[in-house]
Amino acid sequence: MKETLLKTEKLSKSFSNGGVMQHVLKNIDLQLYKGDFTVIMGASGAGKSTLLYALSGMDTPTLGTITFGDKMISELSQDSLAVFRRDHCGFIFQQIYLIDTMSVLDNILAAGLLVNNDKKALATKARELFSAVDIPEETIHKFPTQISGGEAQRAGIVRALINSPEILFADEPTGALNSKSGLDVLDTLTKFNEQGQSIVMVTHDMRSARRANRILYLKDGIIMGECDLGKYTPNDNKRHEKLADFLTEMGW
Amino acid sequence: MHRNLLLTRSNIRKAKGQTVAIIVLVLLSSLMMNLWLMLSMDYRKNFERSHDKLNDGHINIATYAVSDDFTSFVSDMLENRSDITEYTVGEAFSAPISFEYNGGNLSQFGVIIEKENALSRKVGKMEITEDSDIKSGIYLPMIYGTGNNYKVGDTFKISIFDEEFEYTVCGFFNSAMIGSHNCSMVALLLTDDKMEELYDKYYPYSSAYISARVKFASECEEISAEIKGIIAEEYPDVMLTSNDYEMITTSRYVSQSICTGILSAMALLVLLICVVVITSNITNFIGENMQNLGALKAVGYTSGKIISSLLTQFVGITVIAAIVGITLSYGFFPPLNEMMIAQTGIPYSVRFQPLPLLLTLIFIAGIVLAAVYFSARKIKKIEPITAMRQGITTHNFKKNKFPFEKTSLSLNAALAMKSTFSNAKQNLTVCVTMLVVSLIAVFSATMFTNVITDVQPMVEMIVGEYSDSGINVELDSENRLISLLESDSRVEKFYLYTTNNMEVHHVGGSTLYVSVVDDCSKLNNQNRIIEGRYPKYDNEIAIAVKYAKDSGIKIGDEISVKADISEANYIVTGFSQETNYLGKDCVLTREGFEKIGTLPNATYYIDLVESVDVDGFNAGISEHIKSGLNTAENIKSLIDSASSVYIMLVKVIVAAIIMVSCIVIVFVMYLLVRTSLNRKKRDYGILKAIGFTTSKLVLQTAISFMPSVIISAAIGTAFSIPLINPLMALVLGGVGIVRGTFDAPVLLCLIAGGVLVIFTFGAVCLMSLRVKKIAPRELLTGE
Repeated sequence: MKETLLKTEKLSKSFSNGGVMQHVLKNIDLQLYKGDFTVIMGASGAGKSTLLYALSGMDTPTLGTITFGDKMISELSQDSLAVFRRDHCGFIFQQIYLIDTMSVLDNILAAGLLVNNDKKALATKARELFSAVDIPEETIHKFPTQISGGEAQRAGIVRALINSPEILFADEPTGALNSKSGLDVLDTLTKFNEQGQSIVMVTHDMRSARRANRILYLKDGIIMGECDLGKYTPNDNKRHEKLADFLTEMGW
Repeated sequence: MHRNLLLTRSNIRKAKGQTVAIIVLVLLSSLMMNLWLMLSMDYRKNFERSHDKLNDGHINIATYAVSDDFTSFVSDMLENRSDITEYTVGEAFSAPISFEYNGGNLSQFGVIIEKENALSRKVGKMEITEDSDIKSGIYLPMIYGTGNNYKVGDTFKISIFDEEFEYTVCGFFNSAMIGSHNCSMVALLLTDDKMEELYDKYYPYSSAYISARVKFASECEEISAEIKGIIAEEYPDVMLTSNDYEMITTSRYVSQSICTGILSAMALLVLLICVVVITSNITNFIGENMQNLGALKAVGYTSGKIISSLLTQFVGITVIAAIVGITLSYGFFPPLNEMMIAQTGIPYSVRFQPLPLLLTLIFIAGIVLAAVYFSARKIKKIEPITAMRQGITTHNFKKNKFPFEKTSLSLNAALAMKSTFSNAKQNLTVCVTMLVVSLIAVFSATMFTNVITDVQPMVEMIVGEYSDSGINVELDSENRLISLLESDSRVEKFYLYTTNNMEVHHVGGSTLYVSVVDDCSKLNNQNRIIEGRYPKYDNEIAIAVKYAKDSGIKIGDEISVKADISEANYIVTGFSQETNYLGKDCVLTREGFEKIGTLPNATYYIDLVESVDVDGFNAGISEHIKSGLNTAENIKSLIDSASSVYIMLVKVIVAAIIMVSCIVIVFVMYLLVRTSLNRKKRDYGILKAIGFTTSKLVLQTAISFMPSVIISAAIGTAFSIPLINPLMALVLGGVGIVRGTFDAPVLLCLIAGGVLVIFTFGAVCLMSLRVKKIAPRELLTGE
């Protein structure tokens, strides 16, 4: 029996666009499990990122509830949500979003020092993570504008993991990278998932989706279907076909 | 619409907050500048208009104890002088008087004239400014009708020759040359019945009031000295008091000088801050809109067109704000005018003045135009393709300042420091603002302790010598007074300090008012000598620093001085300053003076032990001395009443400049915080996404401003403390002050600097609350 990490009930999100209400998420009931690599897929405009940001406490739902453990995060204030994100979540963005005015290492420590004041221990942990994502020591003292996109996104992963989050949210993490860099990032995420890290990732890239063990397909704000792919193994064609069939079934 | 205007309108729409802040700064600057120019350009001219309207004299001499042939002698003498164009020698009753004013007792040399005589004088005419149906009583100079002083129907108690009289106030009048206690003599008009009563009482005492107009006003001082010399030679027993045009034009406008000095400084400082803010905004605008500017260039906009759109934007805003500021200045002028009239005593009607308006508009618009042009010139260097690729980086960090791994600062403080060191322009704007505001804070603190809470330092600098009581006796009663004072346990100390508008003449130079002192070490105001020392021996003299500088006299020089008996040489031992004689005075020892002149009488300044009633003490002395006593003045009360106008003025000025400073800080910080938040919106979004709360980010933003705020406030405060006295000298230079002698209250200045920092921190925290509006969801890239 898998342990539930996050649970939503009747989750809805609407936006007003020029006075016209747009219902982006509609009554979503969902459970995310510990240790899973969950991928949310769907066409553009389906509500993937909106769902991701609602689940991660980055945005608040219009209706419905989101529960993390025994905490109802959908009812938290903005500052309490910030504390929730700090204590429980990690984020990887498509545009990476490292702060240009500080070194790569400082970008990571800025997140880490929010939780842990032990600078030495934190720096050691950051270096271990940098090593795990193949970023050499000399790179970590550079500014984000001085390193490649792939390196920056891997640094983004280190930032997301520095506080050992219970859940890692990734919004199209390979979207802004070239093929090689994208692959490196996916390998890194897979590696951490294998070590027990729960991941929720939004993507519309099938190559990325293959890394997940669970696929959720979103269409017009509703979860149309879900596919259990099982544990990721490279070059597992059956797994790839299963995903392709699922997506075809979903009309992707 | 013209393309330039389209761009301008778009820029303004995108930067509403910035526009409002610049409008406020320009508005404040133009308001103060227009007030300054109106005060300095027309207010003083108003005196000339009033002087001309009343056909008042350039030289005015009040005499008493005159003989029967005095009037004809003076008339003949004036008639035969080619430098005198018109004159009137009229009947008047001149005597030492004292009356209540502003809660104190004002002692003056009074020129009491019958009302109709005063109104019909050919030269030195007076005009009624407020009349009533009351047929018998007194008309007062209009200065005494301002504030909470006298009004029509009140009973006016006056002491003439130390005898009490009571009159009903019938109305008020204006006199350019003797309409205030700042004129060395003051006129009072009595109705004919009251005048007759006065003459009957003091018959056969008689006196005259002479007013003469000269061909060239600039020569009035010399001509006055000559005329007085001739009168003194012919009538050695006649006592006279005089003033001249040059002296009165300045002395009646001391507060106007203070006000214009402060307004000009404030207007220029606020304009400086405004220029720094505009320059910084344009630089930020170019940095943040690099791609847009590149795109505009790519579609055919020339650099000139883009620059002119910025010029139209900023100069347009400036002109509109300046017009509003100038308009508002007319709202502030009437209350300011009321305060000025309380000191000048000259009626003034606020009216539209086109020249100050034009000068204000042209100056402010010109400065802003130059600032915009020079800071926008770099647009010319932008190449469209490079700009569209954001190729011109707006920041270039060579070094990672305050690395978290090594710094001992907390996370928030280290993040704030990184932010501080990443924006030099923001720091520059903060520094300029805080330096200026620190100067204002130190000035306010200095005024608070040197004028508002304790007026003595101001009295020392402006009035000169002070004491509790001043008793003037005939020379034959002097010894009796001394023995009385020596035996009185209420007396702390006493010393001869005789001025009474006595004059000596510096041979080859000007006439100087002289203070005769028996022992200068006893003087309460040792600060009057700003360089060197008081005279000790009979061959020494201290002279006014302004006169010394103008005449090239140095300490140690020997100068020749003559009075009514003879001429003698004196060594200059020190430079003195006070405003009473506008920088034309000197100090001699009694022995020194008596080598060249005769003391007409002797004034002793007396310090009493604490809690002794000065009036009671004076009354007791009067009882004992009787006929030998001329006047017994409550100097403390006199100074209190005369200085109350200045205290009120300084209170208003300090309150106003503190308010202006707060507004400036709020708007400058608003601009900077807004610019900073816009520039770092993405960074704040990231920090919020990874778990920074709004309060942490607000604190971080506020702390990022603090290094430049604290350093510039500390430097500003430290440098402003020694600057205050030179600034005071600059403001009061026209009235004879060459060196300010205020003690800067170091502790209070430091507290003021601290309050400034705390206020700025609070203001920045409040403005940084906009961080709350930055949502991490704005980082969303998808749907």
